[in-house]
Amino acid sequence: MQAGEVDAVIDAAHGNVFLLAGAKRALSEAGGEPANGLLAALPGRDYLRLLGEFELVALASGQVLYQPGERIGHVYFPNDAVVSLMVVLELKALQVGLVGPEGMVGVPLALGAERASVRAMVQGAGMALRMKAASFREQLEHCIALQRELQRYAYVTLLQARQTAGCSLFHQVEERLAYWLLMAHDRMRAGSQKITHELLADMLGVRRVGVTNAAGNLQRRGLIKYHRGDVRVLDRKGLEAAACSCYRTVKALTG
Amino acid sequence: MKLRLYVVDGAPNSVLAIANLAALCKKNLRLSFKLEIIDVLKFPRRALADGVLVTPHLAKLSPAPVARIVGNLSDSGSVRLALGITT
Repeated sequence: MQAGEVDAVIDAAHGNVFLLAGAKRALSEAGGEPANGLLAALPGRDYLRLLGEFELVALASGQVLYQPGERIGHVYFPNDAVVSLMVVLELKALQVGLVGPEGMVGVPLALGAERASVRAMVQGAGMALRMKAASFREQLEHCIALQRELQRYAYVTLLQARQTAGCSLFHQVEERLAYWLLMAHDRMRAGSQKITHELLADMLGVRRVGVTNAAGNLQRRGLIKYHRGDVRVLDRKGLEAAACSCYRTVKALTG
Repeated sequence: MKLRLYVVDGAPNSVLAIANLAALCKKNLRLSFKLEIIDVLKFPRRALADGVLVTPHLAKLSPAPVARIVGNLSDSGSVRLALGITT
């Protein structure tokens, strides 16, 4: 084999695929639309410059990207992965945000902070483009379009978190479950999502029995099918009607 | 002959590897080839499970002996040798 005959190297420890320069250039010139919404909103020239700093990684369900207080090593732009952001208090967790192909994990870096304030855990397995924190800060400094997109997106995450604060206090478990299932459904490309009972309980900050009852009720109403951690939305309109008003509020405010 | 080719879809060496392999198959029509092409960007875990660390990567699964070739397969002599094609 001659030098230059290789397109990609796979990291045996994690399954991350590192594209070599020639392959990266060819794929970017092929003009494939970025799968991530924030990157797709950037002018082509800016996107191509960023592409050189990215590596494509496969995120596995349940994988923790950051814990609260940890220094953020990478930012992640999901292609089709979905990542749950959770506040962790005395071993209990509560989901306060959900990041899919419309967003980015690692927003604190864009706002000048270096450490994560929440746990970022992969809820739906898939691919993401990731960039080292130092490269990201450097790129952000020079890319006005990315700054603008991330300011808008940081506002969206703030709205989600505020809404969750009210929702957790005033709304019933069943309507909150419907709300988060819709949020996940919007972000997942697969027809069904794998969510364990533990994760559902963590998402809602309730005990497992509360989740079992709520999921059972939604299933009896024919809105979802929940079997061995596999959630499938059967009646999208019905689930929207069953969800608390937070779903419509967040949708209306974030577009 | 059962072959499996691991590629990055659209990347130059992968495109070349597919073209070179197709040409080799055409030239040796008397042999029966069964080829599976796997895009490692879509199935990174599959590649990893099969012990593939770089692409393009051609694995000859049968008949024995199993052989692996890394690169764009442009050196047809070496590829034929690795696949055991003698004529």
